[in-house]
Amino acid sequence: MNQFRENSFFSDRPASHFLLVLVAALFFVLAFRLWFLQIYKGEFYFQKAQENLQRRQHVYAPRGLFLDREGRLLAVNEPSYSLALVREDTPDMDRTLKQISKWTGKSLDELRADFERGRSMVRSFENQILVSNLSFELLTRVETEAPYWPGVKVVVQPRRRYLQGEVMSHVLGYVAQASEQELAADPGLRLGDNVGKHGLEYTMERILRGSRGLKQLEVDAAGRVLREYMLAPPQPGKDLQLSIDLELQTYIYSLMEGRTGSVVVLDADTGQVLALVSTPGYDNNKFVFGVSRDQWRNLLENPHHPLQNRSIQNAYPPGSVFKPLMAALGLENPEISPGQEVSCTARYRLGDRVFRCWRSHGRVNMNRALVESCDTYFYQLGERLGVDQISSFSVASGFGRRTGIDLPHERAGLVPTREWKRQRFNDAWRGGDNLNLAIGQGFIQVTPLQMARLTAAIANGGHLYRPSLFLEEKKLDPEPLPWSAGTREFIYQAMLDTVEKERGTARRLRTRGADVGGKTGTAQVVRLMPEHTEDDPEAVDYWLRHHAWMISFAVSGSQRYAVAALVEHGGSGSAAAGPVVKAVFDYLFPQDQEQTTGHDP
Amino acid sequence: MIDRQMILHINWAMLGVVLLLFAAGVLNLYSASAYRIGEGTTLTPFYSKQLIWGAVGFLAMLGFMLVDYRHFKAVSWYIYMFFLLLLLAVYFFGVPIYGAQRWLSLGFVSFQPSELVKIGMVILTAHFLSRIQHPLELRDLLKVSAMVMVPAVLVIKQPDLGSGLIIILLTGGIVLYHGIAKKLMKIMLALVPVILPLGWLFLHDYQKTRLLSFINPAQDPLGSGYHVIQSQIAVGSGGFWGKGFMEGTQSQLRFLPEKHTDFAFAVFGEEWGFAGSVILLLLFCVFLYQILIVSQEAKDRFGSLLCVGVFFYFFWQILVNMGMVLGLVPVVGIPLPFISYGGTSAMVNFIMVGLVLNVSMRRFMFKG
Repeated sequence: MNQFRENSFFSDRPASHFLLVLVAALFFVLAFRLWFLQIYKGEFYFQKAQENLQRRQHVYAPRGLFLDREGRLLAVNEPSYSLALVREDTPDMDRTLKQISKWTGKSLDELRADFERGRSMVRSFENQILVSNLSFELLTRVETEAPYWPGVKVVVQPRRRYLQGEVMSHVLGYVAQASEQELAADPGLRLGDNVGKHGLEYTMERILRGSRGLKQLEVDAAGRVLREYMLAPPQPGKDLQLSIDLELQTYIYSLMEGRTGSVVVLDADTGQVLALVSTPGYDNNKFVFGVSRDQWRNLLENPHHPLQNRSIQNAYPPGSVFKPLMAALGLENPEISPGQEVSCTARYRLGDRVFRCWRSHGRVNMNRALVESCDTYFYQLGERLGVDQISSFSVASGFGRRTGIDLPHERAGLVPTREWKRQRFNDAWRGGDNLNLAIGQGFIQVTPLQMARLTAAIANGGHLYRPSLFLEEKKLDPEPLPWSAGTREFIYQAMLDTVEKERGTARRLRTRGADVGGKTGTAQVVRLMPEHTEDDPEAVDYWLRHHAWMISFAVSGSQRYAVAALVEHGGSGSAAAGPVVKAVFDYLFPQDQEQTTGHDP
Repeated sequence: MIDRQMILHINWAMLGVVLLLFAAGVLNLYSASAYRIGEGTTLTPFYSKQLIWGAVGFLAMLGFMLVDYRHFKAVSWYIYMFFLLLLLAVYFFGVPIYGAQRWLSLGFVSFQPSELVKIGMVILTAHFLSRIQHPLELRDLLKVSAMVMVPAVLVIKQPDLGSGLIIILLTGGIVLYHGIAKKLMKIMLALVPVILPLGWLFLHDYQKTRLLSFINPAQDPLGSGYHVIQSQIAVGSGGFWGKGFMEGTQSQLRFLPEKHTDFAFAVFGEEWGFAGSVILLLLFCVFLYQILIVSQEAKDRFGSLLCVGVFFYFFWQILVNMGMVLGLVPVVGIPLPFISYGGTSAMVNFIMVGLVLNVSMRRFMFKG
């Protein structure tokens, strides 16, 4: 039986039908698959193809600059180079991370940890910044070798630079890499971004940052950029012109160098801050690069605490600079007349305790008590007025609460009350406490800025302004000083006398061309010494010395300024703080004759 | 040797379809090679090289049409042995490219004997089976198996799993078409589940990862799964009308690997869309159908089986390549006839067509 025929077996052999079926099956299976891919899921795959070639990249918005009141640059942006990774382009992550570690010297474990931490914060095909602030040598090396490492990118970011470093450090603060918490809290931040951490950089973050732009890139499979267009241009941050006078600030800083303390200069009429110096300062540029553990420890362990802004973050007993306020309270009190004299024998007895004055002043009235800084007079005043009046008057005059300046971590200081003492020490307020309080000792603590603000109010007709750091802001949140015009006049005059009179304690402030008033203070220090100083007699001597205070105003024509200076462990207020204040006035009121002679033909 | 009658009887429809397919292939290659960023390796664009290879192949096709196909019977063993020798030569003198030793260089030109051997396989199998008048018994099957396994193993060893599989599959196709004794068939089917896992052991590591990544491409999207994913994205993103000639981003921006060779169809699918792809597929089916017609009209069993062999050659190449591009079949290096770039492959395709045309033009010749 021959089942094969030589001809025409196509139609009658099952096997040939089977071949036809195969062709049909081929067509339908493949056509169905084409339909599935291209039509049913066409849109999906189209998106995928777009994702392949289109990448979005953020365009950094330049951070707003800081300028001083004359337009001099304080903080600028300069390009910095960071090493980033696009993980979708990186075929061998482990090898690549090893290479990055080799380049940068950053340990592999640290890199791995950073990579794992950061990956969730970066969308696919976006740069994940791993190492910032590449040095120039490293940059050239990475740039040449990166083509062999797919996924490795060098990213240019603007970096902050503070032109004056220490001098402006406490005002400007600094930016540094955003922490995980900051990234989590602020959707506008991205990994590797710098964010204000301190000072105005911190409080003005929203204004300075601007908003980043978005760029669309078209890339090929190797990640090469073929085309790019801007989807949203970056909105640059706003520049901020400060009320600070850089020249004055720098001058004061140089005068204070080597000493620990604070100098605040206010324009008494506007409440603007002309200088806000705290020494020692710190180099805020270091934080932008990321401080090393050692640098950070050094800053923290420095007994002079350079990170602290002493003008607002430290509160000190005011000592005698508190006396004008005490005198004012006395003047407001109908039972007390300024002409009433008190006899000072350098000793003031209260019960079985003896309180000392620094000198035997004889018979003093209020004016003399202020001018010559007689403690006995104020013991007597404190005993008569009592804590309740003193503390409420102090708070109303701006103490025990923040001034509201646009800087972080401002301290309120402390105005003690009966209630406070009970809670704090579980003890009743005693007569002796009144006496201490009356001469600005004991529990009361004030910041240099609070002191300057009160001085400004004495000079400007009784307006407590919120101190402003910006040239555009003037006379913020005015608050009347709760002193009658007569009272204010009296104190104003007494402070002038303190400078002008032969026995005035602030004689050294006399300045040609301006009416200068002032008050010195020497605040006793009761504080723990830093560790390991007991062995060094000179160090012990330093840490036991009193704080030196000087508050002062100067008026000339329409110009009115207020200055508060504090030198920690400076000893006498007049000797330690006085020359700095005098230098400020010499700067503010330059001697016309000297200046014009240069121009004479 | 050739008369007017014969020329009239050439299956012009098939030839026309073939030329259309080839033209589409060259056009597609033109697009695929357009944006090459020169690395100094290839200066001649692929499409123009392919044109030259096509012309050479066309001449070879004519050559294979000149001689009456029945003469091939007498020399089928010699042709087969000749190609086997070439394969052995590859084994010893081959030029390794990308870790595989597939190429034989004649100095001015290189070619892949693993492609050529398919011609020998078709002719020899057709000859062998045409002399057997009954469904294959075990003895016949063992002979065929020996005939196919020698070249297949040599090719797979290169390693070129794709071509090795095609050799086995096309021979298997003709054998099944011829018929196998029912009892034997049943035993063989029962053995399949035993043999398949054994085959796994013989695969190279890269072949195993390809198979695994076919099952789950997302497991290694930048590595072995990359081809599978990018190819489907290319085709799928074409949509109904395609992105247009030379507008495919997947291929132009080189996201698509092997876009000239194994994944050329993905370029086509992306740029011509569903409409173009289905038309291309339809052309292939018409082509296959024409082969079947010639096979049916052949006046002897050898001619008929020859056509069936060619049919299976193309059938498997198309199925495996398109299936691979569309993500239905694991990635094995098989070019798509007339569309993919490849000199040897173009030659073989045209020669295969020549064999069928040879049968078709001599279908009314009566030998005395």
